[in-house]
Amino acid sequence: MKQPKILFLVVIALLPLTLVSCISGSAQLARGWSGTVVHDGIAYVGTVDGRVVAINSSTGNLEWAYSIAPVTTPSSGLSCGQSSVTTAIYSTPVVDRDLVYIGTYSGQVYALTIASGADRWVYPRTGSIGAIVGSPIIANETIYISSSDSMVYALDTIHGDLKWKSEILDEEGKRHEKLWTSPVVHDGAVYMSTFDGHIYALSVETGELLDWSFESEAGFDSSPVIYEDTIFLGSFDRYLYAIKIGSDVPMWKFPQEKPAGNWFWASPIVNEGIVYAGCLDGKLYAINAETGEELWQFESKDQRGKPAPIVSSPVLVGNMLIVANEAGNVYVINPETGDGERIENRENGDKPTIDAQIRASLCAHEGLVYIKGEDNRLYVFDITEKKVSWDFPLTIEE
Amino acid sequence: MSFIEVWHFIIGNPVLNVLIALSHLLSGSFGLAIVALTIIVRLISWPLTKRQLNSTKALQDMQPKLQELQKKYGKNKQKLQQETMKLYKEAGVNPLGCLWPMLVQLPIWIALYQAIIRALATTPENLLDLAHRLYSWDIVNQAIPLNSHFLWLDLGSSGDFILAIIVGGTMWVQQKMTQAPAVDPGQQSTSRMITLMMPLMFGFITLMVPSGLALYWAVSNIIGIITQYFFTGGWGYLKFRSPFQSKQ
Repeated sequence: MKQPKILFLVVIALLPLTLVSCISGSAQLARGWSGTVVHDGIAYVGTVDGRVVAINSSTGNLEWAYSIAPVTTPSSGLSCGQSSVTTAIYSTPVVDRDLVYIGTYSGQVYALTIASGADRWVYPRTGSIGAIVGSPIIANETIYISSSDSMVYALDTIHGDLKWKSEILDEEGKRHEKLWTSPVVHDGAVYMSTFDGHIYALSVETGELLDWSFESEAGFDSSPVIYEDTIFLGSFDRYLYAIKIGSDVPMWKFPQEKPAGNWFWASPIVNEGIVYAGCLDGKLYAINAETGEELWQFESKDQRGKPAPIVSSPVLVGNMLIVANEAGNVYVINPETGDGERIENRENGDKPTIDAQIRASLCAHEGLVYIKGEDNRLYVFDITEKKVSWDFPLTIEE
Repeated sequence: MSFIEVWHFIIGNPVLNVLIALSHLLSGSFGLAIVALTIIVRLISWPLTKRQLNSTKALQDMQPKLQELQKKYGKNKQKLQQETMKLYKEAGVNPLGCLWPMLVQLPIWIALYQAIIRALATTPENLLDLAHRLYSWDIVNQAIPLNSHFLWLDLGSSGDFILAIIVGGTMWVQQKMTQAPAVDPGQQSTSRMITLMMPLMFGFITLMVPSGLALYWAVSNIIGIITQYFFTGGWGYLKFRSPFQSKQ
């Protein structure tokens, strides 16, 4: 009788442990989905293994790679000691003069020289601010960046000195733990959208809140885009909003009747009075920027023929609109008619355009489109030829 | 459809969406939503709980008969065990019956664990994943993002010692109230170990899982204690001491 008793006790004792070990896969680690920027023939991109790399866009050769210091995570719960994990990079780098700037999920802003990838400065000099998910923007020799410590920072581009920082609080006066959107600079103000449904305008000079702000019932999930004094951005309520700066009510929200199939996660782009907005329901919508009227819609799909989410913003290359979905398919679309064609996989037509998820923002430069896949490779598309010109592994062997 | 897809379709996503909808209804408090969900789960599992409470009450009523058996077959352990089990069978009770409501709730725990991680979306990947799991209900979409703070807890983080003590303590009290003292000395040690090991283990696990899940356990235990108190009319076996324990 003793053996069954012991067995029973062991089973009972191990039950909660089994529970935890079986289901621990629910949480997804922060890997990052940094986009690419191209400047003077060099592509700069943040990788999923915590590096910033520079690749020659003509030869496809690696110019340099800079490793961001890994994050040391403190012990929590029962874990003993500290562990070191790769720094995730979500923000897309920006280039200004001889420096490339990037923010990291570990809460640091790096300025690296475009020539060698040496760090010119790091902000803060020691320690870190909150996690950076949004991309930096540069205007008037100042880099503006948002952080998950509920702050917007303005840093001097040359030395990385703090010009100002402005705390963005929610309605209850509490800090935003997820200030994940990117700021945008327009007409002397920095505009920030928040997950609790606000748009704030800050002075570019001092960071002080300006008189105008906008409040919505639902939170804003995408970064604002400004076109002719109108802010366009997506919301958790599955609508895309157009808000005239200075107004308390939206100019329009799209779709005009029932909400879309999911969130407008990616920031839209606006060109010649037309808003192109990708949605997590798999559709790319073309909308009249003035009226909010739908002009056309294009549905992107996965290999099973099901709609696949559009996570990254589309880009315009000449008179062609390029959009990628999370399933790895890349489409070339006529922006006037909405007719689109999928770029075939170069090895197997049954597979997606690239054999990896696409979440990073697309970059268009001189007829080429640069897309970083979740397989940590950089793919370069020749849009005229509708094919992948070359691809480069971003995971570099030591 | 794979097992994982079926799981999310039937249990995972409904629990996630109900939890978020409750949060919106309860002034955006995710903690209160977990408390409300706990009450709902306890109401749904009431038939099982009631059966277990009846079993506990019957065990309490059987104590004089068990004492008689101990006197009669005290020296013959095998016979004592046989007769005790026979008595249990006749009365239709299971001394370990309290474990069944716990086992039935296991899928809810798993779904709740996943829902807490997903709903609080601590990383951008989690938030993107959440978008694919939400129903098109306005009430759900307007509740995003959720506030992870409740009382002193960050519901998405682990390692809260106060909560671990509350979970372990309430579980011990509840088990002590329902666990009938075994007559056979061999069974006594097993029973005592279970009564002690389960609370210790859950207190230990509380330090590793998000506080939101531990909050569910704590509230569920407290509801169990209150129900038990009023159903059986007192603290049950918490105050009862087996007459045979004193002989050891």
